[in-house]
Amino acid sequence: MIRLRVIAGAEWRYWLRSRLVLGSALLMAGLLLATTAVTTLRMQGEAAERTHHQDKAEAAFLAQPARHPHRMVHYGHYVFRTPTPLAGFDPGLDPVTGQSIFLEGHRQNTPMFAPSGASADLGGFSWLSPAMVYQLFGPLLVILLGHGLIAREREAGTLATLLAQGAPGRLLLAGKAAALLSVIVLMSLPLALSAALAVRDGDPPLAAVALVGVYLLYLSIWGALALLASALLRRRTAVLAALATLWVVLTLVLPAVAVSATSNAAPMAGKLETDLVMLSDLRKLGDGYNVNDPAFARLRAELLAEHGVQRVEDLPVNLRGLVAQASEQKLTDTLNTYARAQMAAETRQAIVLASHGWFTPLLAVADASRALAGTDLAHHHRFLQEAEALRFAFVQGLNRVHAEKLSFSDDIRRSSDAQAEARTRVDASHWRLLDRFVFEPDAAGSRLARSQSQWLMLCAWFAVLVGAGAWVGGRLKP
Amino acid sequence: MGRRTVEAMSARSASASVWSALRREAAFLARDRSAWAWWLVVLFLSVLAVSAGLNEVHRQKATIAHLVEADRAERMAVLKTRKEWSAVYHSFHLTYDPPSEFAFAALGRRDDAAWKHRVRMLALEGQIHERDAGHPVLALVGRFDFAFFAAFVLPLVLIVLLHGLRAGERVAGRHDLLVATAAGDSGRLWRLRAGLRATVVFSAAVLPLVVAAGLSGTAAPTLLAACALLFAYVLFWTLVCAVLAAWQQTAEVILAALVALWILLGVVVPAAGRIAIDRTVPMPSGADIVMTQREAVNAGWDLPKANTMAAFVERHPQWAAYTAVERPFEWKWYFAFQQVGDQKAQALSEAYTDGRMERDRLAGWLALIAPPVLLERALQVLARTDVRASLAYEARVRDFHASLREFYYPKLFRDDRLEPAALEGLPEFSPRAAGR
Repeated sequence: MIRLRVIAGAEWRYWLRSRLVLGSALLMAGLLLATTAVTTLRMQGEAAERTHHQDKAEAAFLAQPARHPHRMVHYGHYVFRTPTPLAGFDPGLDPVTGQSIFLEGHRQNTPMFAPSGASADLGGFSWLSPAMVYQLFGPLLVILLGHGLIAREREAGTLATLLAQGAPGRLLLAGKAAALLSVIVLMSLPLALSAALAVRDGDPPLAAVALVGVYLLYLSIWGALALLASALLRRRTAVLAALATLWVVLTLVLPAVAVSATSNAAPMAGKLETDLVMLSDLRKLGDGYNVNDPAFARLRAELLAEHGVQRVEDLPVNLRGLVAQASEQKLTDTLNTYARAQMAAETRQAIVLASHGWFTPLLAVADASRALAGTDLAHHHRFLQEAEALRFAFVQGLNRVHAEKLSFSDDIRRSSDAQAEARTRVDASHWRLLDRFVFEPDAAGSRLARSQSQWLMLCAWFAVLVGAGAWVGGRLKP
Repeated sequence: MGRRTVEAMSARSASASVWSALRREAAFLARDRSAWAWWLVVLFLSVLAVSAGLNEVHRQKATIAHLVEADRAERMAVLKTRKEWSAVYHSFHLTYDPPSEFAFAALGRRDDAAWKHRVRMLALEGQIHERDAGHPVLALVGRFDFAFFAAFVLPLVLIVLLHGLRAGERVAGRHDLLVATAAGDSGRLWRLRAGLRATVVFSAAVLPLVVAAGLSGTAAPTLLAACALLFAYVLFWTLVCAVLAAWQQTAEVILAALVALWILLGVVVPAAGRIAIDRTVPMPSGADIVMTQREAVNAGWDLPKANTMAAFVERHPQWAAYTAVERPFEWKWYFAFQQVGDQKAQALSEAYTDGRMERDRLAGWLALIAPPVLLERALQVLARTDVRASLAYEARVRDFHASLREFYYPKLFRDDRLEPAALEGLPEFSPRAAGR
């Protein structure tokens, strides 16, 4: 143990003397602090703005005057997805997904206004976040610190001395690894700070801890790669060039290639395409505006029989409202079937992409990071589902008012008779049936569960590399 | 006279020595197995990039072909089941932006901006912001297209290849000998070595691009411009590498400095620039546009009909004589307040479009100090996948929507019956404006 500490301590003294190491560490720290400050402020601003818009939309709905309830079905409502506090560290899909949806009767609209659509276009890296700094540039600092661990001793001829003095290769490697690991822990302090702030603002502590953990594991994988290369290759410049090449391949090339491969392997139809297929299904459901549509003949016959009357006008309820309710129900079933299929297709594609994490730890850590920060695809899908649940609830609530508070004879004449039209307006107090929309991020448990396979991938990478390190350590030669 | 002959002779011998040096270095390079390996790696990556791009473009074209068919069938079905203006109300029309012949090289905004819509003759502001865009995770991670490969990966290949040019010889102990024996100026030797390696990289990168451009029918000027841009870009990084490689430092310091420069130019400057530009050019929030439009359209139901028709006539004075609305519901009044809804949101909507245009203009200027972004944006301009192309498509959707209104308004206001024959001459969306 003491010898381990001596080896690690010697490495630290070397790093502290090296201007290259100190300069790079300072640059990295500066980059991390700057992106953390900027991204946190930006996401807090977004959260405040979206909450404000949400309140405004709700107030606007409640402030509508007395009118025909179906008018409110089309007046509709807006909901906004507010980001989690951890989104200040990893905004994830937030910039590339629409943040608000217009909810109205008979339709499921797409989310609108992705921030990337309005911002200055300066390439994908211009959306630099602390998470990206860790994913892309954390490994570079680890490489710079770690490439010389063994190769430097070998070049200086001290490796032979160390081994000859009886320091076993494995112990030497373990000492060097301990030194590098202490740097990695130090590197993750800004992340730990972000995570602590997010916990203060309401994110679950377990998710925040797991987020720090997953980055520690990721950077440790790079540390192990650096140490291995340093032990295997003879010259320091060769080690550095090899590691730099590996970094280009694993963090820049492979993830992007995986995206191209995924869109080939698991192609997905867009919403317009599936909507067109769906529309022909929807036509079979009947027209909810037409009480004489044969699709609603049974409903009509049953109602007449139930109330023992002959004419629709004599029913105690408004048939139009009931037809609207029945038709919205059938329509929504179909819409949801297609929406679920679309989300399943998106999830399938995301899983195919994620499976490339076995080849590059970057994809694995990025997926896990988004899941833990609450900015992944599953979160976006839940936003869509909750928006749809709210849509269905208020539309059906309004249809119930339509059925119970309006008379059928006024309702059918309202387009031609101004007095009948006036009688079809219901009091504004009915609009209070709209529920408040609050998008709650997932609990820690489900976030962890979604990052399970990524943990597995990263652990497998780490285990293989540690195993290789132990093997190389046993055979270390000057 | 004599002096001139001597000068000519020395010039000839100098050029001969350049040739012999070139032949010698080329022979060195040809025997250098790692140079061949790099040539193959770059070639492989470039093939990967262009073939992924070709695939994606092919898929997008197939999607469009399928959508055009399905959209027409759907409209026919609507016209069969609905009558008169209810049919118009329910008729959607497909608009789309087909990929250009060079889009395979730079897919740009096509990954996260919508390039297909279905619109109808209701208020457009409620429809045009719908986005049937691609998969968000794929858009976030980013595709391996040629533009990304050339702008971000290629410089790193050059950096790895060229950073140790002198330091490597220094370590090997040959540096001073090489400098001393180089005929004439010794700088030429390093320029030659760096130039040859860069040529190798450039040729491997450009070859698949040229082949793919031939396959997809890219116009020669577009391809030439792309090749020239790529050449200039490789030259830039070669010079940067050569300048830093001449620094009296170890190879690792030079490599670290070059990678730091890559991060500065490719990541830090664009990231800081994007934030600065977004701050400088304020824009209305999208939510305000659609909510303004919604309020205006819905207010139409409650406002006195004369108010709506008066606001409508401001833009369409030719229908002033036909604006009397007698019944509680008439289609011309309904479509009129849809139009008025767009009119009310117009200022905000234009500010949103102008803001995006202005942000893009500034981004173009900022790219001048961030060469990777400059190349990526330039390739996207050639491929018509940039922000401007995306805005131009949006403008074509607006024009098409306006032409739908122009087509229907005479029938609507003269109270014509909408027989199927009347629908002949219905405007069709034309995917490319003339001249582009």
